[in-house]
Amino acid sequence: MAVDERPGWARALWLLLWGLVVAAVITTIVRFATGIATIANVNQAYPWGWWVGFDMLTRIALGGVGFTMAAAGEIFDIKGFRPIVRAALLVGLLWYLTYAAVLMVELGRPWMIWQVFFSWAPTSAMYEVALCAVAYTTVLLLEFSPLVLTKLGWTTPVRRINAVYMFIVITGVALSSLHQSSLGTLLLLLPTKVDPLWHSELLPVFFLLSAIMAGPAVMLVEHTLATHFLKLQPRMDVLRALGRGLTVLVAVYLALRLGDVLYRGVGNLALSFGFEARWFWLEIVVGLVAPLALLLTPDIDQRKGRLGMAGALVVIGVLLNRLNAAVVTMKVHSWESYRPAITEVLISVGALAGMVIAYVYLVRWLPIHTEPPLAEEASIPAVAPARALS
Amino acid sequence: MALKAMIQDNTRCIGCRACMVACKAWNDLPGDTGSFFAGPGYQNPRDLDPHNYTVITFTYTDEGTKGRPDWVFGRLMCMHCLEPACASACPTTALRKTPDGPVVFDSWRCIGCRYCMQACPFVVPKFDYDRVVPAIHKCTFCADRIQAGRDPACAQVCPTGAITFGDREDMVQEARNRIATSPGTYVPHIYGLNEVGGTSVLHLSSVPFERLGYAANLPDKAPPTLTVKLLHFTPKIFTTVWVTMAVIAMVVRRRFRFWAHDEHSDEHSGDEHGSR
Repeated sequence: MAVDERPGWARALWLLLWGLVVAAVITTIVRFATGIATIANVNQAYPWGWWVGFDMLTRIALGGVGFTMAAAGEIFDIKGFRPIVRAALLVGLLWYLTYAAVLMVELGRPWMIWQVFFSWAPTSAMYEVALCAVAYTTVLLLEFSPLVLTKLGWTTPVRRINAVYMFIVITGVALSSLHQSSLGTLLLLLPTKVDPLWHSELLPVFFLLSAIMAGPAVMLVEHTLATHFLKLQPRMDVLRALGRGLTVLVAVYLALRLGDVLYRGVGNLALSFGFEARWFWLEIVVGLVAPLALLLTPDIDQRKGRLGMAGALVVIGVLLNRLNAAVVTMKVHSWESYRPAITEVLISVGALAGMVIAYVYLVRWLPIHTEPPLAEEASIPAVAPARALS
Repeated sequence: MALKAMIQDNTRCIGCRACMVACKAWNDLPGDTGSFFAGPGYQNPRDLDPHNYTVITFTYTDEGTKGRPDWVFGRLMCMHCLEPACASACPTTALRKTPDGPVVFDSWRCIGCRYCMQACPFVVPKFDYDRVVPAIHKCTFCADRIQAGRDPACAQVCPTGAITFGDREDMVQEARNRIATSPGTYVPHIYGLNEVGGTSVLHLSSVPFERLGYAANLPDKAPPTLTVKLLHFTPKIFTTVWVTMAVIAMVVRRRFRFWAHDEHSDEHSGDEHGSR
């Protein structure tokens, strides 16, 4: 039975993913045996660096895909989004679970994390993010569990969950809105450190909006890649709906972002083309203007690749936005600087690789991508498509 | 106890660093092997760290004392803000402001998120990254000594009277008097009177504070006023979003009982291609 029929590149990629996971696990062991300093460059002036910039701010934003798609598909009941709610929940769940895993490495004293649940700190954005993220991960597990439970044949809990399913979905949307915006509040507290091009009283609104915007963007990437690798027919109606939603969101966000910069009178900083301004424009052009231009091309509705590319650019834009605000342009001391260590990034990359592996296994096991196989592949045995990557 | 404060009169400081030694002694901090010239002049160490809760800074300036070029001193330590950003940021309330002035912390409750380090406009809390069981470290204002009715260790040992400790009201008055009675000695600015909403450490200087490397252009508004107000709305936002979404679900489905999963709308059921 163990005849490996996968192409060579797929086997190599699969090995690479596992290699990254193993490397990240080894790095984690070193971190707990010898302290954070061995594997990370975070220092006294820049205590967060890549870990918070990417793993907290960016990862949670992209994990927002679960709540935006659940809201669009289940609450608003928009037809174009319904077929991808399951995939969105899976992706969201995996983003959050890997976030929790990296957080345990990144926190200085993770064995004390339970203290958060025995504290009352309503003035702390971190407290709100922590509680809401835990609660929302629970919601995601509940939303996703019927798929697993049905597969296992446990129908009673599935019926119980389905009976109050909308309560769970709506609670998830409310929790997400809170902690996505609280990530902005997190940076709002640092008026002296966050660059004026990013520090705005509207930060919570921007963070919520960009998390919502990341939803269709992540799904465009997911659907394009998944149908490509699983050799399924892409749902053009779904991609179209995602593209239209993304166009509106990117346009609104871009207008608000530029309007805010002008309104706060820091437009001259943006036009100075100094270090911060260049990163600002990179974020605006790559993450907002370019995808918007792509999305506004006349035949976009027929172009799967172009839609996927627009989604990928928006994802990169969100990543740039969070990293710019929290890491790249943050100034504390003139004599201290921060540059992420390879091992620091490796922890994140290992978690991402683990996420892809888990995704591939779950997509094979559960009815998540139910699109019909590509016509020309129809002659290949039915097991082949879903196994392309694994 | 009334709110306490400390005057750090940099014009009276001679850079002897007895305060740094007393701080180490009272807080049982280990000695370091550093460089004698870690910072400008004889400044050592360069900055606060987990073993040094206070550091005297050395700055050479052309208009030092009475217009002559000279070394001028400054002091790094926790400012014990009246509305501390660090305490507002702490998710486990391990950091808190006590009514008599000190911002104290319970390092046992710390989860190591380092938001306090990020939130502090004076970059004071320090973390020992090189330890397997790390913790946050910073000046405690000798809260235990204040409780016992004594001055903080640094104030006790200062041989030139550069450090004065007492009720904040009296200290503010004293600082104003010093500036008023010898205007040539001081720049007319009490650093910490209004910075980030006021602090419990008030600095005086003969040269502008930014020349000493003090954080300049700090807002008069305490940073937590930006965020606490917003976070206060949390339950309201949650309820509003929840109710709005429920109403939308009802309207979209055209029925009051919206809470069950619509099986019919699930395009997946009966179509199980991708699964095996």
